[in-house]
Amino acid sequence: MNHRGGFALIKSTWLSWLQYRSFFFVLAFGWMIPPLVAMFVWLAASGQDGIQGIHRSEFVAYYLVLILVNQITYSQANWTLGDVIREGLLNNWLLRPISPVYQVLSSEFAGKFVYLVFTVPLTILLGLVLRPKIDISFLQLSFFLLSLILAWGLRFVWGYWLALLAFWFTRADALLALQDSLVFIFSGMIAPVSLLPGFLQDIATFLPFRYMVGFPVEIFTNQLTLAEIGLGLLIQSIWLIIALILCSWLWKNGLRRYSAIGG
Amino acid sequence: MFPFTLIKSFIRVSVLQNIAYRANFWIDLLNSLLNLVVSITAIFILFQQITELNGWDLSATLGLVGVYLIVSALRGLFIGPSLEALVGLGQEVWSGNFDFTLLRPINTQFFVTFRIWRMNALLDLFLGMLVIAFAITRSASPVPFWDWLLFGITLIASVLTLYALLLAFSSLVFWSPGFLFTWVFNALFQLARYPVNIYPPALRILLTWIIPVGLITTIPAMALSGTAAMNTVLIAVLVAILMFFAASWLFQKGIRKYNSVSS
Repeated sequence: MNHRGGFALIKSTWLSWLQYRSFFFVLAFGWMIPPLVAMFVWLAASGQDGIQGIHRSEFVAYYLVLILVNQITYSQANWTLGDVIREGLLNNWLLRPISPVYQVLSSEFAGKFVYLVFTVPLTILLGLVLRPKIDISFLQLSFFLLSLILAWGLRFVWGYWLALLAFWFTRADALLALQDSLVFIFSGMIAPVSLLPGFLQDIATFLPFRYMVGFPVEIFTNQLTLAEIGLGLLIQSIWLIIALILCSWLWKNGLRRYSAIGG
Repeated sequence: MFPFTLIKSFIRVSVLQNIAYRANFWIDLLNSLLNLVVSITAIFILFQQITELNGWDLSATLGLVGVYLIVSALRGLFIGPSLEALVGLGQEVWSGNFDFTLLRPINTQFFVTFRIWRMNALLDLFLGMLVIAFAITRSASPVPFWDWLLFGITLIASVLTLYALLLAFSSLVFWSPGFLFTWVFNALFQLARYPVNIYPPALRILLTWIIPVGLITTIPAMALSGTAAMNTVLIAVLVAILMFFAASWLFQKGIRKYNSVSS
């Protein structure tokens, strides 16, 4: 594999995307709003006494961290890869002496960088106004970082296999709405998973979506015991492996099916 | 009546165009249902934990969700798609095709407001009405005729306010082409999913008096649950009329600012 070419590609994409920053800032703003609305709802609901042991400043901490985690792990493979397959532009990628994964990774890093330039300062500003309670040990922080990396990997690979469905279905992007809804309900965005009603909580524990966003945030905000963290990391890794297998299988078979249209 | 004849032919042309994309109907249906499920789930998760959100009980909040769905559906029916064709990504104002629109022998604002219809939005309208019906059956006492009347008046005022806000945000494109003002508005409109009184005071003032997104859903929902005072209704109607004239003025200013581009 040509790794040096890959890194050069990542850098060039990043620099070129920075020129369209107003577009990406608007997108990042749009992604911040649903968790922010959820935060205000829970703040209004919790009042002075808190809900199930979660108090005002803890809700603030939970949602501000969630906004950052959501932005870091957000998958855009559907646009960067799915559209390329649909429109037949994959030809150009296949002809290059670099693995197509680098093409997707380059826009992934470029996007992340541009989004975070907007999201991080805004989140810090919100933190100064709303005063979250942050109380984290070194051990937790390391678990948080580990789960964050796994969460990013899982969401990236998960989005990648969904995008690969474009080899078979021209309107595979319709699945995106379903995916977004599932993430919104089960990832801890609508409410921290511990506040979901019993059966939804059980579903959330086994589906992959919590491990894309909510799980690292729960570690960061001290909601989990050591055993729960261990179990979570295990489930997270299992889903990551499943997604990787799906990806390589879909890629191999999809490429065999692929024929470009147009010119 | 000439305007109505025109609207009728706009609808006919839009239907003829859409009918070629039959699969889109199923995708729109999926999206409408998902949107409904997510909105309702959010409310039920919330009211598992509490019985009242700043004075809003479950049925009143469900009524508000219904209003949100109905107003969004009316927007999606013609206001949204029509204005999108004007200022959306790569559309008329970007490409310079607005020249041809300006040259048409009818009122430009009328034309850009009504020209494109998306009949699948009627699904959303229907689902919104279902939610309202469901909310009413849950409330303790039947809704008297007087409240229905106020509900109707405030709902019309809300649609007018929403239209005016969208037109105003769209018009800003004439001053700063390339910035996606309508996307910013879409993000802000998410805040209307909940009663405006749950937000912190500064945000509440912004959403009531500066960008009256909060009024759009809150006031009809209050009318429906019989808690809207006569003054509130009057204010809603006044704001709507005022906003309509202000936005129309801004749009006229914008047109004058418009410089065509050549290809």
